[in-house]
Amino acid sequence: MDLAVTEMTNWAVDLIDVRKTYGRRIQALGGVSIQVGRGEIFGLLGPNGAGKTTLVKIMMSVVRPDSAYGTVLGRPIGHRGKLARIGYLPESHRFPGYLTGAQVLDFYAALAKVPRQKRAANVEKWLHRVGMTQWASTRIRKYSKGMMQRLGLAQALMNDPEMVVLDEPTDGVDPVGRRSIRELLIELKRAGTTVFLNSHMLSELEMVCDRVAILVGGMVARQGTLKELTDHTLEYQIRCGGDVAALTEKIQGLGGRCEDGAVILAGHDPQKLNALIDVLRAGNVLIDSVEPRRFSLEDILVEAMGAETGAGAAAAPIGIARHAT
Amino acid sequence: MQLWALIVDGFRQAVDSKIFWVLACGTVVIMLALLSIGFEEGKAVFLFGAFETESGGYNPMFELGRSRLVGVIIYYVMSLFLGWIGVVLMIIATADLIPGMLQSGSVEVLAAKPISRWRLFLYRYLSGLVFVFLQAALFIGLTVLVMGFRWGVWRPGLLASIPLLVLMFSYLYCVSAAVAVKTRSALACVLITIGAWVVFAMVSQAPMLMEAFRMEKSSRLYRVVYAVSWVPPKTGDLPILAARFAHAGTSSDVLPESVLQSGGPQQREDFELAREIEERQLKQPPVYSIGSSLLFEAVVLGFAMLSFARTDF
Repeated sequence: MDLAVTEMTNWAVDLIDVRKTYGRRIQALGGVSIQVGRGEIFGLLGPNGAGKTTLVKIMMSVVRPDSAYGTVLGRPIGHRGKLARIGYLPESHRFPGYLTGAQVLDFYAALAKVPRQKRAANVEKWLHRVGMTQWASTRIRKYSKGMMQRLGLAQALMNDPEMVVLDEPTDGVDPVGRRSIRELLIELKRAGTTVFLNSHMLSELEMVCDRVAILVGGMVARQGTLKELTDHTLEYQIRCGGDVAALTEKIQGLGGRCEDGAVILAGHDPQKLNALIDVLRAGNVLIDSVEPRRFSLEDILVEAMGAETGAGAAAAPIGIARHAT
Repeated sequence: MQLWALIVDGFRQAVDSKIFWVLACGTVVIMLALLSIGFEEGKAVFLFGAFETESGGYNPMFELGRSRLVGVIIYYVMSLFLGWIGVVLMIIATADLIPGMLQSGSVEVLAAKPISRWRLFLYRYLSGLVFVFLQAALFIGLTVLVMGFRWGVWRPGLLASIPLLVLMFSYLYCVSAAVAVKTRSALACVLITIGAWVVFAMVSQAPMLMEAFRMEKSSRLYRVVYAVSWVPPKTGDLPILAARFAHAGTSSDVLPESVLQSGGPQQREDFELAREIEERQLKQPPVYSIGSSLLFEAVVLGFAMLSFARTDF
């Protein structure tokens, strides 16, 4: 294992060339580099088996990398002391069933070296914030999955962390609870806490994340702000009232295509758009609307998966289609 | 703070198991049984006076009687009930402490806290020993009090059995902890630990067994067996060490004169040999027994901690 510090940066997370192979054959991460700014909400997404959870576990010192450079909160990867400043909610977490909700929070906070008085205050504060106050004295073996998830979130926040790492935080939570969690994440961001999210719920990531990285096959396929990722995939959809079949050749000449009675122009090129509109108008086609469309995260993920596997759109799961945001 | 949190949590987990209550009930029953026995004017009374018989050589008015009563307590109450049944129950009660911590979904949360792996493991291990200490202290403390107040036999030296029992349990619990790291199964911990206990006892007692069969001490086989017998922990030495501290405990303290003197010359000779071996064991410095056992424990724990520290969860 080769752990080295590169340089002290202002990134909350600055990982460079993180590699991990399980056994001799299963390569989970093949040289991942990602940067997460302080105080931002960062989303990590990718298909199953992409290495997301392994990457998170390496950040949290739960898994040892084969090699890794960089820092987490300014400290080298694997540094235990920094963990006191990070909150972590793992996927499918399990807490001891013999403890009550309040005892769970107190126990894990004590392990995070939170002083006793602060623990007592924070138990009350975070149980209230996740709506679990009335269940504080109930043994958690009686909790539902959604309640466990909310308790897990409170556990991750008990040490008032500088950064919180959440692996599938809304798993098993009802829509109202999910909304409440999203609001909490935004509150944390406003308070200056860095939020690192690993989730399959792409629509939710889209609603809260400042930046995302897409992991495919143990490598970063895309990384950037949502705007950066979605801008280059902009396209225009021109809805027409009449038949455009006669104009197909001219439309294709300008880079457009006909799809379900609409004309689609890929890319962000106002000149071409106007030229296309001129062609349609000259052909006496009635234009209903012109809509710019940005791809959703889901589209980008599917595209990234296709590019990585070389299978293109065929790699997309059934039911995933491009849709406007 | 972290140590205290893990010890309290370990205790909560152990108390949550039914075995804890079985042990508690066993303690109450044994204490009531001891309380029901009394000695009055050369007679022993049972069930609070329902039956009585001659106290014979067990009259606590005399030193020999007191010594024999202490011997009986060490052999039958502490060694048999606490040292065997109690230890098996405690192995079961504490078996899930480390496997429970290592379950998927649970270990990730713990391993992501600012506590080193070896410390996390060691503190959890200690929480098991603290649980056993409290159980042993309750049982032995009550026994000493019952003996003192009810029979007038005060032997505070018996309290040394509390750390001795915890020590003996730690010899076994290190095996349970190592198995837990490798298998994460409480059932495997119980079965392998009890199996190891049997093996330890057999190997440790092997030289004495060979002596009893009058094997030459100068023979190669005896020397090899003797050397090997020092490797495993000496779990069978608890009653011997407890007897040392309580100044009683050889078979002559436990068995009545009539039993000692019965039988033919051969049987008497065998008994004398057994007693000679016992006496020799009593004279052995505890540092040999405890030191070699602790060395074994340290090696097993070191292996378990290293394995735990190097595992990806």
